[in-house]
Amino acid sequence: MKSSFNKHLIALLLIITSAFVAKAQDTRIQMNSLDHLAAKANQTVDVNVDERLMKLAARLFSDKDEDELKVKKLIEGLKGIYVKSFEFETEGQYVAADLEPIRAQLRGAGWTRLVNVISKKEGNVEVYLQFAGEMVNGLAVLHTDDKELTVVNIVGPVNLDKLAQLEGQMGIPDLGIESPKAKKKTNEQ
Amino acid sequence: MNDDYLWDKTGEPDPQVQELEEILGTLRYQPKPLQIPNELTLPQRRNYFPWVAIAAGVLLAILAGGIWLSTRSRSDAPQRQAEVTAPAPVKEVTPSVPKTPERKNEPREEVVAVVHKHRPRSSTPILSKGEREEALMAKEQVMIALRLTTEKLSLVHKKTQNTSPVNQIKNQHRVG
Repeated sequence: MKSSFNKHLIALLLIITSAFVAKAQDTRIQMNSLDHLAAKANQTVDVNVDERLMKLAARLFSDKDEDELKVKKLIEGLKGIYVKSFEFETEGQYVAADLEPIRAQLRGAGWTRLVNVISKKEGNVEVYLQFAGEMVNGLAVLHTDDKELTVVNIVGPVNLDKLAQLEGQMGIPDLGIESPKAKKKTNEQ
Repeated sequence: MNDDYLWDKTGEPDPQVQELEEILGTLRYQPKPLQIPNELTLPQRRNYFPWVAIAAGVLLAILAGGIWLSTRSRSDAPQRQAEVTAPAPVKEVTPSVPKTPERKNEPREEVVAVVHKHRPRSSTPILSKGEREEALMAKEQVMIALRLTTEKLSLVHKKTQNTSPVNQIKNQHRVG
């Protein structure tokens, strides 16, 4: 009787622990703290594509069109894309405290700040990655400018090489990233 | 002669009446308990209530099933329509299969076989109208998100490539 109770207790503890681990591994960033800025913003972009919608959208990308196929391959396996972007008419429409809940999330749960660009002209851009072993399991980009605030969160295994391959296609700006092979070829020439 | 005897048995009795009384008296009502013969058995009254209840239950289930099926078929109507017209879109989806007149003249069985060949190849099942609209919106959102992401990454790349004293770039910082 007692051993059965112990077994149940251990199972319960395992379930609770796994739930906490799963929660900790969740790379989705809660951006609700920024919602109030929409009222002040001149232009707002709010993208919420969860896993179900991602799969649904993936069906519409053609396998025959090379560009669309690249996007399809990129978003395959992703669990969500979330974006909040605000463009303001004037400066000072948001304060650092507005971003604090997001920064607090990026400080924990295995996030790594890959790049932090500080530019007087174009604002600050921070790129965060979350790793699951060797794999990138999440991407977050934080762009703060005097008149702009953008937070991008891609949940799931992000293939940065494939993301780089999208440059200059389907309205996606040129990243100017050269793959190692291409670089080698240009050097040989 | 007095008729009183006939009416209330008073007065002098009439011998003929008395004789008639004796004859008919044997048929007079004699009170005695009813005796039901043993061989006579009354049929048992059956209780039909459980059967009626079961039948009503089955009927209700059939009715409910019918309503559910009809509503389901109504909601799936566009999808069904798409399924009916499946052979034509299959050819559109796979333009590599030439639409030759010979193929048109082939027997019906072979056309069906072509459709069966294509079904497993297409990984995208037909979407209903609602799903397609949702998928279109999702696709648009995905593209907006990717544009924004790559735009920001492009900015980062530009800044990390062209480092100037104004720009401070800090790479590979572990936060937390």
